[in-house]
Amino acid sequence: MTDREIIFQIIQGDRNLFRTLVERYQPLVFRTCMGFLHNKEDSDDLTQEVFIQAYQTLSGFKGDAAFSTWIYRIAVNASLNKTRKSSKKLLVQRFEIVFGNSKKEEYSFSIPDNESPENILILKEHKEWVRNALESLPENQRTAIVLSKYDDLSQKQIAEIMNTSEGAVEALIQRAKANLREKLSATQKKKKK
Amino acid sequence: MNCQLCQKELEAYREGELPEGIMIQVKAHLGDCQDCAEMNQLFILSEKVIQEEKNLQSNPFLVTRIMAGIEEMAQGYESYQPVSIFQKVLKSALITVSLAAAILFGVVAGNLYKPLTTVNKIPAEMAYLNDAALESVDLLTN
Repeated sequence: MTDREIIFQIIQGDRNLFRTLVERYQPLVFRTCMGFLHNKEDSDDLTQEVFIQAYQTLSGFKGDAAFSTWIYRIAVNASLNKTRKSSKKLLVQRFEIVFGNSKKEEYSFSIPDNESPENILILKEHKEWVRNALESLPENQRTAIVLSKYDDLSQKQIAEIMNTSEGAVEALIQRAKANLREKLSATQKKKKK
Repeated sequence: MNCQLCQKELEAYREGELPEGIMIQVKAHLGDCQDCAEMNQLFILSEKVIQEEKNLQSNPFLVTRIMAGIEEMAQGYESYQPVSIFQKVLKSALITVSLAAAILFGVVAGNLYKPLTTVNKIPAEMAYLNDAALESVDLLTN
């Protein structure tokens, strides 16, 4: 059964068929959310929100683009909204830390069990760098790099999701990589000092 | 090869996408330059971090959770009954009338209330006394 057939049936009232869509696209949505949030629990919650939003607006799906493109758009927008909210929350938390009202939130990391303690420490530290470097990128560069690195999408697919040209996506990815290089190099220099 | 050029080509170098001549140059530079070698290590680590996040699996019950959420939402929609205009008007009219009645009751109850007086009543025999007819005490003394 194709996506369009399933969607048609769901709109007709067979909402149990939505499970097929969820099973088909849930890994893709989760990966995208992970690329933006870097936290498993938050990504799980956001994936749920994305599918609920998709269900609510399913009748608005015109079928001009593939369902995957449509759900990617919802996932990217939801992730960007969430990161905007989290950065505001983080600002408040930092403010609270300065005035001693709150403890710093620990980010959750998933480290493989077979890593040595030293490697775990390096990896933890590096996760924080990568997270900070990605978060400091402008939203369109971040979107392009997440879709490219986490979802392994082609520039053509990214262009379709971002509603722009392939050339623009290529430029965004190049700029994002240059920015990440710069940030990592600055971190490296800071570490040396 | 200088550091700037080397760092720019690092990703393509790691993926083996560079022409053979440039691959050799980058490799040689990485052997000589500690900064670029460290930078390369940082990139390798970054890719490891991304790879690890990519390999993470979502909650195995996520599909069930999503479907339960949708079911709950759909049932909410089904149990929702639209309110007619008549009901809306009647409801606001009823609230207005109740408020007006409450105010009116307050005013009436306020007017019916008589405060207790602490002033002593003058006995009737005292009230009929003709003060003018009384003899002046001064006259008696003189």
